[in-house]
Amino acid sequence: MNGKCLASGTNDLHEREALSSLYNRRDLVRRAAALGISVPTLVALLGTGANAQGTPVGDPPEGDPILIGASVSTTGSNGRTGLYQQEAYLLWEAQKNASGGLLGRPVEMVIYDDQSDPTTGSRLYERLITEDEVDLVLGPYASGVTLAAAQITERYGYPMLVAGASAGEIWDSGFQYVFGVYSIAQDYFRDIILNIAPAQGYTTAAVIYEDAVFPLSTGEGAVAHCETAGIEVLVEETYPLRATDVSSILTRIGEAEPDMLIGGSYLPDSVLIMRQAKELGINVDLYAFSVGAAQPDFLDTLGEDANYVLGPSMWEPKIETTGNQEFLEAYRAMWDRDPDYHAATGYAGCQILEQALTNIGDVNLEALREELLQLTMTTILPGEYSVDETGRQTGHIPLTVQWQEGAKVIVAPEENRTGELQLPTPPWDERG
Amino acid sequence: MDTLQVILSGVLLGGVYALFAAGLNMIFGVMRVINLAHGELMMLGAYITFFASDQAGLNPLVSLPLSAAALLILGLLLQFALVERVVNQPLLSSLLLTFGLSTLMMGVALNLWTANYRSTAWAPLTGNWDVFGLAVSRSRFVAFVIALLVTGGTYLFLRRSTFGKAIRATSQNAEVAQICGIDVRRVRLVTFAMGSAMAAIAGSLIAMIFTISPEMGRMFIGKAFAIIVLGGLGSFVGALFGALSLGVGETLAAYWTNTQLAEGVAYVILLIVLLVRPSGFFGRAE
Amino acid sequence: MSSQVSQIRNEVDSEQASPTRPMPKWEPYLGWIYLVILVIAVAAMIWFPSNASAYSVTLALIVLMTISLATSWNFLSGFGGYTSFGHAGFFGIGSYVGALLLYYERTGWITAVILSGVATGVLALIIGYPTLRLRGPYFAVAMLGFTELFRVIVTSWDSLTLGGRGVFLPIVRFQQVEDGATWWDRFQVQVHNNQNYYAMLVLAVVAMILAYVIGTSRLGLELLAIRDDEVAAQSMGIRVVRVKITAFALSAVFPGIAGAINARQVGFIEPLTIFAVIWSIRAISTAILGGQGTILGPILGAIVLTLVSERVWESDPNLYQVIFGGLIVIVVLFMPGGFISLLQNWGVLPRSRRL
Repeated sequence: MNGKCLASGTNDLHEREALSSLYNRRDLVRRAAALGISVPTLVALLGTGANAQGTPVGDPPEGDPILIGASVSTTGSNGRTGLYQQEAYLLWEAQKNASGGLLGRPVEMVIYDDQSDPTTGSRLYERLITEDEVDLVLGPYASGVTLAAAQITERYGYPMLVAGASAGEIWDSGFQYVFGVYSIAQDYFRDIILNIAPAQGYTTAAVIYEDAVFPLSTGEGAVAHCETAGIEVLVEETYPLRATDVSSILTRIGEAEPDMLIGGSYLPDSVLIMRQAKELGINVDLYAFSVGAAQPDFLDTLGEDANYVLGPSMWEPKIETTGNQEFLEAYRAMWDRDPDYHAATGYAGCQILEQALTNIGDVNLEALREELLQLTMTTILPGEYSVDETGRQTGHIPLTVQWQEGAKVIVAPEENRTGELQLPTPPWDERG
Repeated sequence: MDTLQVILSGVLLGGVYALFAAGLNMIFGVMRVINLAHGELMMLGAYITFFASDQAGLNPLVSLPLSAAALLILGLLLQFALVERVVNQPLLSSLLLTFGLSTLMMGVALNLWTANYRSTAWAPLTGNWDVFGLAVSRSRFVAFVIALLVTGGTYLFLRRSTFGKAIRATSQNAEVAQICGIDVRRVRLVTFAMGSAMAAIAGSLIAMIFTISPEMGRMFIGKAFAIIVLGGLGSFVGALFGALSLGVGETLAAYWTNTQLAEGVAYVILLIVLLVRPSGFFGRAE
Repeated sequence: MSSQVSQIRNEVDSEQASPTRPMPKWEPYLGWIYLVILVIAVAAMIWFPSNASAYSVTLALIVLMTISLATSWNFLSGFGGYTSFGHAGFFGIGSYVGALLLYYERTGWITAVILSGVATGVLALIIGYPTLRLRGPYFAVAMLGFTELFRVIVTSWDSLTLGGRGVFLPIVRFQQVEDGATWWDRFQVQVHNNQNYYAMLVLAVVAMILAYVIGTSRLGLELLAIRDDEVAAQSMGIRVVRVKITAFALSAVFPGIAGAINARQVGFIEPLTIFAVIWSIRAISTAILGGQGTILGPILGAIVLTLVSERVWESDPNLYQVIFGGLIVIVVLFMPGGFISLLQNWGVLPRSRRL
């Protein structure tokens, strides 16, 4: 130590000494050995990610399996929601294989994880179609990924049921092989703005939304509906995709004092907005969020602060649609938790695919496409499956839900109602 | 009135930024290592608090010492095994090394915990206190106070205690300090560990305020550099000033323009200062 | 002038040859050897899509892209020693310039791609002048800042860039081969259907050639001098700032063009993922794995690492980052000069500037 200290300490000397010791061969070998043990151990501990999962339950039907490919975001920023969709796909696969298969053949799902990244999604669908040579495909989760994936499925002529995305842009882009399963994003707030708000006498709103394809669609749709309903939009703003702080926007909204706060969001930002609204003491009569509000996680994270919040839901467990009870029980049995509406839409997508294939009797992509265009049927979702000439879904009826005392209540439409609307939202300081 | 509200939000936020930047500052001062992995250390602290609260129902505040201790140990290990080796090498080696570490840690976190956003909250800390008509966010205020306490405590430690003086001596001139009998290796170990612990506490506090994800480290590291550059290297007080300025600057920018642009404030500050007063930053390195 | 350069080169070469390890006879012909290998490889790559699945072609495209990114990163950061985290920023800017030109239907695709490179090159000149006056570490931090700043600007300026909505580009429509088509017709269809692949091939070849030219030229020598000791280099009369900026601008062109081609290939880009630091990480880790500051290093590193990581990516996308990060750590600690340097130390390869 002393020797080094007293040496003519130029960096040069230190460097050379440091480097030469590193290149000592014996040292190198020792270190390599240490790494050789530790790295694989680390890797093994981390475990490999699950990709293709498919465990048929019961007696598999005979013949070559029908390969159905999809990529779903199970990790990535939308992974929490995407997982529901994957679980639904796998549930359906298991059910088919236990009960005679699809067209008498067993079903095998090939599912990858696209991490909510459009580039990855696009590559995965290309891989599914050209390498894995799947017979059919199902859609991914999230509109951005769907847009990228649709380009690939379009190129190879694979009809795709989009069970996990709804931005209207998807059907404005001229695709011929893309079919929606539920209402487009632009209409998410339609019921709230055109029906509920006027009934309550609200005349002003603030619409904020996250800067990404889907939230933008819901937000812009909301603004358009506000115009139709004669509601004045006092604040309209986007916030960055992974914002961690919206306090400044909320302060501005507080100043403007609108009757409603409408958030075009995914789950994390809807939680953030509610929490910061409470922190800043921002009070409006009606809160509504596009995705966050309908999910159980919303309640888990916010607790009592989630009450009175409204949102659209594409499906709820309590509705009485064909096969809903069975779906619910089967899902709970397989995954040990309740499905959310993304699971239901995923399942419905499978139902539709199955019906269409049964109708044409063969795995023929062109025939499938034509069948999907003119098919109408009921699924576990409210309303029915029916698309227009671009593949956009027109028959589905979205529900409006509200959190009341820790439980989700369906407040619209009339025939699915399970409770009364509770408005206006009491100010923060008057709540528990 | 609302401008005041916004400024207040910014100031409270700045306190936490200061804690984060102070650790980075210290590490650079003593070892001339640009710790690009500092953000990921903070992220780990945040996740410890999250899991403690989510799985064990532990109060976020109670988990603070836990996360500090855990990262103290991790910091020691990292310094001992990896960082020490690049201390006497060109600065760019440490840059690349910590960059690699940052990528590695983020990848591990993504693998283990996925990129989903998490958040945790302690019910009494949600909402606000009304102070003269201003809504003071409870969680931010508590975080601010704790951050200031820790930063202040570290400052006193550096100024008053013997080991603190050893740290300062080493950061001024490592070779002379060594000649004077200071065990600089030990100083470096402790400094890195302390810096990591400070980052962890900052992370835990942030977990109480914001949502967290494995990628959050990347966002904060840029702000940390802006703060250090603005406030001046090695100066604790300077870092505090820089942090508060940044906090207020960001919230005001978001209020006056929009939140999108406000994201860029830290980087604009960083670049302007670097370009206008470049010697202000690594002035003592060469 | 060139005789002076070759004189210096000969001196340097003979110095690097030690008594126990003379420079092998074939060393001066390395340039020609490279050329032969390159021609053969290019021919194989041109033929490749006719016999491979679309997915394999995409994989090959990614390898070529990584080669371009790593090799160009090496210009300033390897030869010059100025570690740059700016590749992601240029990649993103190039993607957007190309994508927007095509989205607003201003130009044909080849022009759009070239213009992307020009745009990033010019951008590098503009920001290079102030930032390259900073020392190495300052510069690295500044480039980190710039990349993020670019992202924020692109996201905020949504009237032009469509912001977070992302830009949607229709991908190439496949042409079919008609019956009775000649060999040439079939080839044209193949080129059309894989046009992005061929574009990336051209880019990678240009990058490799440029790497050789820079590496063996006076510019390369000056860069190496700057890397070793900037102050000494300056006092020896090297126009330090000019050299750095030239290298920087040249290195920025390639990620710009690669970004534009990538945007066309995928058909959809959004600010968050296109400016993601992973693009810088790819360039950096492959370049230093192979050997920064060498000519062959980034090429080798890019090929090896991309092929290996794609296999990993298929099974576990998240492990990707762990591997890249871990690799950087290992390389920095144990083999700072990468593979090439390792081989040189073991005596397998000579210490030639042409490697």
